[in-house]
Amino acid sequence: MKFHKCLKHAFDMVLHSRLRSWLTILGIVIGVASVIAIMSIGSGMRERMSEQLGGLGGDILTLGAGFSRGNSMFGPPGERGSRGGGATATDEEPVLDRGDVQALKSIPDIDLILTTIRGTVEVTYLGKSGDVSLTGVDQKVWARITTETVSEGRLLDSADQNVVVIGGRLASSYFGKPVGINQMIAIEGNVFRVVGILDEESNTIYVPIQMAYQVLEDKTTDVYDSITIKIKNEDELDAVMSKIENKLMLVRHVTTKTKDFSLTSSKKMQETRSEMMSSMNTFLVAIAAVSLIVGAVGIANTMFTSVLEKTKEIGIMKAIGARNRDIMNIFLLNAALIGLVGGILGVIFGGILSGVLPALMGESGMLRGGTFVSLDSIMFALSVSIGIGILSGIIPAYQASKLKPVDALRYE
Amino acid sequence: MKQTDVLLHLENVWKIYKMGEVEVPALRGVTVEIRKGDFVAIIGASGSGKSTMMNLIGCLDMPSKGTIYLNSKDISKVSESDLASLRGRTIGFIFQQYNLVPSMTAFENVMLPMEFLEYDEGTASARARDILTLVGLKEKMYNRPTQLSGGEQQRVSVARSLAANPEIILADEPTGALDSVTGKELLNMLTRLWREDGKTIIMVTHDLNLAKYAHTTIELKDGQIIRVSKNHGVNKK
Repeated sequence: MKFHKCLKHAFDMVLHSRLRSWLTILGIVIGVASVIAIMSIGSGMRERMSEQLGGLGGDILTLGAGFSRGNSMFGPPGERGSRGGGATATDEEPVLDRGDVQALKSIPDIDLILTTIRGTVEVTYLGKSGDVSLTGVDQKVWARITTETVSEGRLLDSADQNVVVIGGRLASSYFGKPVGINQMIAIEGNVFRVVGILDEESNTIYVPIQMAYQVLEDKTTDVYDSITIKIKNEDELDAVMSKIENKLMLVRHVTTKTKDFSLTSSKKMQETRSEMMSSMNTFLVAIAAVSLIVGAVGIANTMFTSVLEKTKEIGIMKAIGARNRDIMNIFLLNAALIGLVGGILGVIFGGILSGVLPALMGESGMLRGGTFVSLDSIMFALSVSIGIGILSGIIPAYQASKLKPVDALRYE
Repeated sequence: MKQTDVLLHLENVWKIYKMGEVEVPALRGVTVEIRKGDFVAIIGASGSGKSTMMNLIGCLDMPSKGTIYLNSKDISKVSESDLASLRGRTIGFIFQQYNLVPSMTAFENVMLPMEFLEYDEGTASARARDILTLVGLKEKMYNRPTQLSGGEQQRVSVARSLAANPEIILADEPTGALDSVTGKELLNMLTRLWREDGKTIIMVTHDLNLAKYAHTTIELKDGQIIRVSKNHGVNKK
């Protein structure tokens, strides 16, 4: 029998046992939709993480006060900043200061050192005000180390004093009216001129660090929230990190056990997060795959029932000239069709589900980056569902094809 | 009569069914020749081995011992796949319970044997229409079996048996489920196919009245042929 005729008979079989076929298809739909939704959430989270960390480059290190185990953001909170020592009194919160910068400067493998402080300030523009986050940066090196780019104007320069670079959203919509280049904004009563607007859609303000000390009252001069380090050779990352740690432990009078600072590499942080995400994603996909296995069992069950139900028909077909492979093809195509229809519907529902999930979860956390249904995941889901259909149908189809016509005709 | 006229030859054919430890012979050393263009009735009481013989003649089953030649070909030496094609091309079946595929229309049922033999689509559908018209079902060719009477279903069954233009029409109790008038119509149809189209008709029946339509009668008892007789009152012309 020609292939298209087998396909037609397989399609008729699906149509003539609608309820049973649709219930079987539903099993596959649930499985595929879960896999698609989970894969899309995973892709979305990875995209967002790459956006957050990817731009920093492999030669950038971040130094913070307080110890974070394993150079990751997931260190035990109780240990963070709880150890004294170094440049400050033992009972006080550990901080980063000029002593640390001097120590870093003595390491020849370091190319640039950027000191940074952060805080929240009240900003006023044309009578409207609001609280926004402010970052004070060493303007002499910021432009050479930052990954930020400007859509208008320029980044901060070494000679800058009362000037700011502002985030894209702050410039376009935060105050109701757009803030342009060379316009003046007031930060905690001090007037600053806008010299640059960032590409990034944020509300952040960057100011020279000395000006930041003036507007952030709780900050102490020459004490930093973080220090960003650019090393000369990315290939020597591990060795340089080790040198920096040793040097800092020496000047801060701490040991490995009493370490009161954390040195993190964006590359390593990204790798760690990636590994975690990947493990979590694999775990979730594995859970979703269980429903696919249940779906596969459903198809096999439907096919076995179908073979039983159609035993007499198989006998008739064999009596009038059907070969074993004709019967095998019809039943296999029937199973593959169930898988394919389940796969297509699963992809559609999975796509819808991954679209509404961020809204349902309040666009919180990593889902803020949205979800992303890739062509790869669609192809994967469709191949898996057809594959499952065929695999589940092999034994029943083989059984059907091997029926002896005389026995099949006798079956009631 | 020439040897080449022999269409079917059963040589010392045995069929033994195993019922647990017990072996039950349904056919015991049957030897018979069926010639081209004959109208044969296989008769016998219930349990005489008629159905078993029909299954073997129709290549639906294999003998336990002995040899069956179809067109001089030993069917035990033919692969399963080739045997299916040979069956489809050479034998048309008419069953007592019609055995139509319930989900298909009369037209689709008639198309089916031609689809298995990979006929060209246009040729097959034209032939299916012609045959259904010939059996008087032109107006009902798109009805499903459940929308047809018993007689009409049996006519679809006849049409399907003729679809691939086989040499042999094998009818198993063809009137068993029909009333006497419809049964008679069917027998007239078979006689016409024998007389006018030169088909070889093999009819299995327990009804001696039906055997009167046949030219040759083979009588079975306890799995053995006890009589082969010619009905000289029934002639081709």
